[in-house]
Amino acid sequence: MTPPAPAFTTSRPADIRRLMSFVRVAAMRSIKIRYRGSVLGVLWSFTNPLLMTAMYTIVFGTAFSRYYDGSILRYLLSAFVGLTVVTFFLNSTAEALPTIVTNGALLNKIALPPAAFPLSSVAADLVQQLCTTFPAVLIIGIVVTHDPLRVALIPVALMGLVLLTAGFSLALSALYVFFRDVSYLWGVAGFMLWMTSPLFYPAQVAPERIRVWFRINPISQQISALRELALQRGPIHYADIGLAFGTALVAFGLGVGLFRLARRQFMDLL
Amino acid sequence: MSSAIEFSDVSLTRRTQEELYYDLKRTLLNIWRIGRVGVRRHTVIDGVSLSIAHGEKVGIIGPNGSGKSTLLKLIAGVLLPTRGTVSVSGSLSPLIEIGVGFDPDLTLVDNIIYYGVLLGHDEALVRTHVEAILDFAELADIREQPTKTLSSGMSARLGFAVATEFRPDILLLDEVLAVGDERFRRKCDARIERFWDAHSTIILVSHDLSYVARTCQRIIWIDGGKVRFDGEPDVAVQRYLNTVATSATIRKGEDLIALAASTPDPVLVRGTSGIDNELAIFLVRNGHRWRISANGEYRRTAVSWENVLVVEDSVIEEVPEGDVAL
Repeated sequence: MTPPAPAFTTSRPADIRRLMSFVRVAAMRSIKIRYRGSVLGVLWSFTNPLLMTAMYTIVFGTAFSRYYDGSILRYLLSAFVGLTVVTFFLNSTAEALPTIVTNGALLNKIALPPAAFPLSSVAADLVQQLCTTFPAVLIIGIVVTHDPLRVALIPVALMGLVLLTAGFSLALSALYVFFRDVSYLWGVAGFMLWMTSPLFYPAQVAPERIRVWFRINPISQQISALRELALQRGPIHYADIGLAFGTALVAFGLGVGLFRLARRQFMDLL
Repeated sequence: MSSAIEFSDVSLTRRTQEELYYDLKRTLLNIWRIGRVGVRRHTVIDGVSLSIAHGEKVGIIGPNGSGKSTLLKLIAGVLLPTRGTVSVSGSLSPLIEIGVGFDPDLTLVDNIIYYGVLLGHDEALVRTHVEAILDFAELADIREQPTKTLSSGMSARLGFAVATEFRPDILLLDEVLAVGDERFRRKCDARIERFWDAHSTIILVSHDLSYVARTCQRIIWIDGGKVRFDGEPDVAVQRYLNTVATSATIRKGEDLIALAASTPDPVLVRGTSGIDNELAIFLVRNGHRWRISANGEYRRTAVSWENVLVVEDSVIEEVPEGDVAL
């Protein structure tokens, strides 16, 4: 005779531990599904940012290196850090977006916290990056800055990025239950956010009045915070880091709020 | 005795399907329309109050769309009531549809663990039960194979084994008793039997009236989201059948011929054959009648009880034997 397990309920704080354990199992499961029969496995998530960095460096490296003290290597590192942020954010949100709908049959049978599905999708992506790009950024930080404080703050900045991604994922997956256009709209919006971040071009080449946008664009904020910590020397610009982390917290809060608002309507639409 | 499940004046309204368009243009049109006339809702459960004690075995019957499964979903916490309160004390296990939640590419063991966690159990606890589950499903020797290599019967066995391994306080059964081949079905019945013997509270939704009446102590008959009857199984079934089978008092073969002539839809009739005096099931359609089974049992897989007319004490003429395609 096994001790009875309490059923999932949706919002009691006591269930958060259970939610988290479910997120963990579901995340491991989706990683297994993703890399079943693959030899390189998780290492594949390295390929995208590495290839893009190589391409950008080959095409733009020489032209833009003068903004990086004439060093193509510094351009390359800068592009890599930017791409780490962008690929994690866009891949995770795109993967989390349909999860509530695709698990609709399950949600109709068992009382599960619906937030577990987008969150476990983000967690699966996070685990992949923790095996590949995130440590790479940390190593770059150590080698470039030699500054223990900066290196120690890199995980904090990455945590901000994860919070931002989780917030957007919750909001998008909830909206997708109501409007199936969201996946196409987000495809376009994500690409816009990417292109309007100073990722493969230095911020200085953009006209002055456009640079305000770089301060508002959440991806751009995360990129400059991470670059500040991993690639710069001298006194730390805490403003950039604080802004990025603050935006991430707000985005996470809004995502959770929107999700909770929408949740009661889910079951009629799944 | 304290109650395991308590409904007090529970109502549930749901949005109608017609506005469930998922593209932006229609959505905007709908928002405009909803802004003027409000969201259209229909009532699925209407002012239901009931109380089920710990250890009670309760059957729920009623026609399709009457709210039976919705009632289970309210108990399971999948749906929240629009009005009133539902309180449940004790752990729940729904027997979910076979295959929901299984990933075809993962191994049996991985799927068992995921499934167990879905049902609300701790991962570590589920791991200690993997062997027992595989043994019961008789799939222990292919544990590391991907689940897609299983036949449908095998995956049904696996689903049943996981769902019933962890003895819940409250077991919700929704028409799930037909699993696997005949031998395995007996094994499942035996396991459910054990739940019956134990102190588990069981809520069973089924169209198999004789099964419900035989196994439950109490039957709740719902129709249109309201409780029509709650009490003695025999009385409930009889009253229910009286509404479903309006011509339940056919006494003679001629009446049956008349009924057959008037029904374009096939109707199943249980009665006594006029030739050999055996209880039998007859299919009646467009003036034709066929004898389907000789012993008065019908096969659950073939037809639903909802269309069965029970003819009490009647004599039905012998009809041509033969294969009937259902």
